[in-house]
Amino acid sequence: MSTIMKTTRDVRGVGLAIPRADGAEKVTGRVEYVADIKRKGLLHAKLLRSPHAHARIVRIDTAKARALPGVRAVLTATDIPELKRKAPTRAHAVLAIDRVVFAGQPVAAVAADELAIAEEALDLIDVEYQVLPAAVDPLQSMQPGAPPVADAGTEADTSEALAHSAVAMAKGETRRADAPEPTKAVNVSQTAHVKRGDVAKGFAESDVVIEHTYRVPMVHQGYLEPHAVLAEWDRTGHLTLWASTQGSFNTRSEVADVLGVDENRITVIPVECGGGFGGKIRALCEPITAVLARATGRPVRYVMTRREELEAGMPAPQVIIRLKTGVKRDGTLMALEAETVLESGAFSGAVLAVSAVFLGSLYRWPAFDIKGSEVLTHKPSVAAYRAPVAPQTIFAIDSQMEALARALGLDPVEFRARHLSHPGEPMVNNQPWASHGGHEVLASAAGHRFWKERAAWKASAPAGRVRGTGLSLGGWLGGLQPTGATVKLNPDGTVSVLTGQVDIAGTNIALAQIAASAYGVDFEKVRITTGDTDVAPVTGLSAGSKTVYTVGVAVMQAAQDARRQTLEVAAGELEAAVEDLDIVDGRVVVRGMPDRGVTLTQIGRKGNLYMSKVQPILGSARTAFTQQAPAFASEIARIELDPDTGEVTLHGFVVVQDAGRAINPLGVEGQMQGGAVQSLGIALTEQLAYDDQGRLTNPSLLDYRKLTAADLPNIETIIVEVPSPSGPFGARGVGEPPIVPAPAAIANAVEDAAAVRITECPLTPERIAMKLAGRPAGKS
Amino acid sequence: MRRFDLTLPRTVDDCVKILSDRGDDAKLVAGGTDLLPQLKNGLLKPRYVVDLSGVETLRAIRVANGSGLRLGAAVTARAIETEPHILSAYPALAESGALVGSLQIRNLATVGGNLCNAAPSADMAPPLLALDAEAVIVGPRGERRVPLTTFFLGVRKTVLAADELLVELVVPAPGPRSGGQYLRHTPRRELDIAVVGVASQLTLTDGVCRKAAIALASVAPTPVRAVAAERALTGQAVTPELIERAAELAVDAARPISDQRGSADFRRHLVKVLTRRTLTTALERARAARQEA
Amino acid sequence: MAKQVLSCTINDEPVEVLIQPYSTLLDALREDLGLTGPKEGCGTGDCGACTVHLDGQPVASCLVLAMQARNRNVRTIEGLAKGALHPLQDAFVRHGAPQCGFCIPGVLMAAAALLEANPRPTEEEIRYGIAGNLCRCTGYTKIVAAIAEAATLTSEGARA
Repeated sequence: MSTIMKTTRDVRGVGLAIPRADGAEKVTGRVEYVADIKRKGLLHAKLLRSPHAHARIVRIDTAKARALPGVRAVLTATDIPELKRKAPTRAHAVLAIDRVVFAGQPVAAVAADELAIAEEALDLIDVEYQVLPAAVDPLQSMQPGAPPVADAGTEADTSEALAHSAVAMAKGETRRADAPEPTKAVNVSQTAHVKRGDVAKGFAESDVVIEHTYRVPMVHQGYLEPHAVLAEWDRTGHLTLWASTQGSFNTRSEVADVLGVDENRITVIPVECGGGFGGKIRALCEPITAVLARATGRPVRYVMTRREELEAGMPAPQVIIRLKTGVKRDGTLMALEAETVLESGAFSGAVLAVSAVFLGSLYRWPAFDIKGSEVLTHKPSVAAYRAPVAPQTIFAIDSQMEALARALGLDPVEFRARHLSHPGEPMVNNQPWASHGGHEVLASAAGHRFWKERAAWKASAPAGRVRGTGLSLGGWLGGLQPTGATVKLNPDGTVSVLTGQVDIAGTNIALAQIAASAYGVDFEKVRITTGDTDVAPVTGLSAGSKTVYTVGVAVMQAAQDARRQTLEVAAGELEAAVEDLDIVDGRVVVRGMPDRGVTLTQIGRKGNLYMSKVQPILGSARTAFTQQAPAFASEIARIELDPDTGEVTLHGFVVVQDAGRAINPLGVEGQMQGGAVQSLGIALTEQLAYDDQGRLTNPSLLDYRKLTAADLPNIETIIVEVPSPSGPFGARGVGEPPIVPAPAAIANAVEDAAAVRITECPLTPERIAMKLAGRPAGKS
Repeated sequence: MRRFDLTLPRTVDDCVKILSDRGDDAKLVAGGTDLLPQLKNGLLKPRYVVDLSGVETLRAIRVANGSGLRLGAAVTARAIETEPHILSAYPALAESGALVGSLQIRNLATVGGNLCNAAPSADMAPPLLALDAEAVIVGPRGERRVPLTTFFLGVRKTVLAADELLVELVVPAPGPRSGGQYLRHTPRRELDIAVVGVASQLTLTDGVCRKAAIALASVAPTPVRAVAAERALTGQAVTPELIERAAELAVDAARPISDQRGSADFRRHLVKVLTRRTLTTALERARAARQEA
Repeated sequence: MAKQVLSCTINDEPVEVLIQPYSTLLDALREDLGLTGPKEGCGTGDCGACTVHLDGQPVASCLVLAMQARNRNVRTIEGLAKGALHPLQDAFVRHGAPQCGFCIPGVLMAAAALLEANPRPTEEEIRYGIAGNLCRCTGYTKIVAAIAEAATLTSEGARA
């Protein structure tokens, strides 16, 4: 009988566009988030926060609050012996000791029977502050004599944090700010400097020199589910945390460090996370909630209000880039000079290196001089936000490339393509660019109808409106983190995979597909479980576009290991060599002899049978690789602009992105569309607006404007595949690249439509209209 | 939200009684779309809240004597957005209702709440001002009527005493050959609040402007009428040049501040743009309006 | 501050429950009635995650005092379909619309109300119909496509 036998290659796995397994639970409202969880005797927490950006705490009186019926605990810093006077990170500054360094910093904590009672208790806490001058503008804060943010011996001491956060560019190029001298800039907590060649000479030989200062304000990650955590201690001193987090192991480590508890005395259960985007990596609410639970002996839940999220979350840094570029008339790049200021808020932690890499390495500049500074201010300290610092940096370099192309009368896409770095060419740190699909992405974008028809679009503007098209190119270098995974064969022939990674981006279905293709069964037979920190292998963050890239490899290797074990058992049964075996339709068969086989069920059962000599199949893998997989994305915006009001209407938007290998195209599209809309938010409407006292003036979602469905067109997606040599099945991380290009694409579109170059985000109607109104009379 | 006691009156008289007793320490809630955020932010901490949702009479929409409109104070923005008679005879009012917040807000928010909250940006105020609406107020001393033009005293301040409540808006029919429009500028298309809002209402006789009303939101402590601009139009044939002149004069009525929603300069700029646009549309609608009583 | 009795109909079942007078409808649903489908994303009516139907109309339940629902009809995501998935829910799953899922109950309630009132919406009408629901993960495109598809299915079913 001649049958066409399916091989492992034919299983339903990698490459299928299939919905996530938890879809039905989500659409019926059955999935539980932290705020949905009930525990017996649950108490509710509220934090009292400083109204001042910088002040000494003179006195706190909690007597009246403690006396309110229903209040179970009122804590200040004096009640928490573990608190370090020198808080190396914001997580360590659980409650302010004697000084507050940002408006919104917690100074007291309450646990009560009801939220309403806890709120009333806050009203009854009496705090006397001595208000101090605040450093609120980063450029002023950099100057000598600015009010100091870090103060040795008290909170916002950043000396240890620098060791964690400073990314070495190459030896000697990143320096920490040492003990401040009177004339030194006390609030500059990190600096970096890279150079190559002679920029002065390069500018002298340039025909066209363009200099702009680009600015993108602090923005919030905007996840719909506010930070939430439920803490409960048992009688043995073991702490359980149900947390909305992007990394249960990271949360466990931070809480252990802050509270001085062993990590294996803490269990972090990663509950379904309602969005993170980098804002739920660092510990924020967990330590204080754990302390309240310990003080009351009861489970305590703390859910941030939206106002608290906006006022006292961990936003993306403000980024200011002065960029000067020189080119020859024929388009040859000559020199690039940049000064980047990252405003990090009250604690150090911004990532300087990314900016320098994109400014100096994306395009091939023969000479560059790039300086970066991280500056502290009296504002909430920052954390990552999806491709940290990349959207802001690409806003600068891509806008500048567009401006250069226009000044030279060259095609903007050809100009980028001509100078875009190739794999193997050196980055600013002299490491070679890894394999990447930047050129393919750019070529694909250039072929899209939005780009090809841009002249017709511009000409079609109705009376009183103008139209334009903007294209931009950006990406992300890819993330890395060690991780582990296990794969087991169940007695019925199904497969179970255990990881510790939080399924934020639909990665679980991709991992199931990877396991399916690597082991040799259809994905329906695979189940992925995200274990808590007690049961799962140590796992990294669900962030940095590295989940599928790193956990995917661990799952793939664990599945391959399980497959090998399975075939070894079968080889014994079938008296055949492992190399002659394959897994087809749930059976291990000898190739070419379909009648000789043993089912996965049989193998699985044997591994669980009383008195059996067959071991259960348990594949495992631990990975820690160092090769990043950069992933590029290009976005094109087709807009119409009302010059009188400055309103931009998006008529079309497309994301072209290199996924390496799209493990699950449906999931990849979702990442591209979601990232693109966040990118558009940075471009058009989002900013955390502080007054000159360091207080947030827009602490609600009415005034912190995220785009609605009515503001947007369909986001078209084009997946390009330039396989990565190191990713699972060639996959690259897909979460980060799409948030990068839109601010530049929008600025380029606005210039195309209205002949003005705007270098500050967001490009609000006011910014556009007033720039247009300021133009000399007679221009259209 | 802090704790409070809640009363559930069934009639306007019930409300008046409660307010007379509790007045200063009580807040009325209808749609709750302005009150609840303020309670949650701790801006207001009333001991008593009085729920108006059980007082049926406050939700009535009546077309009075075949002309004019009587709106119960608890008529929702959604009702104003969709009521056929309002859409056809008072389009500027329908437009303002349609712009409040989002659909989930409009199904709750009331015209009375919008006016009594008295934010400078209240969307339903400009069209009602431009239509010369009157507020019907009831208290322990009986009923009184106040023209909307004198209803607002300042930011979040109205003529209402602590023991009074707004029960109805009386809107006179604009007359034949009348047209109006409300436009506002917001950075987003929904879920937003006016940076500037302008309502224009023009009534023509034999092609000449008999009556002009222009009302502005978000450019002064209260919604205001642009009186000088109105005078420039009254009695004149309305040409594009005259519209432009009126738009410039409307800017003079604006005393905007700079805040995180917009600078004073941008607001003045928008007053001109939106006045020009709403007057143009009001004129078109006035010309197209059928002769009807 | 005595508790009050809230009597109303929730998901077609009569309900009588003792609640605090300062509870919002959202609080009462989630804490007193075990219906945790509606979510609190902002508490001030600016995100739509708390959307439920009140007498058939979509409202921000975080802005409704629980007692304001007395003698009225409330529907939450848990009551959108009995047993089998509602065509909207099914379309959302197949299109890969839910990502983190937090906005989804509110979006589905807004979408269900839209299709009740307007069985054949245009894309623009769909977008305005859910404009009161913020989503941070998806960019809305798959959500809109799922609603559009569900509209064709339900209106065809109605004609059949």
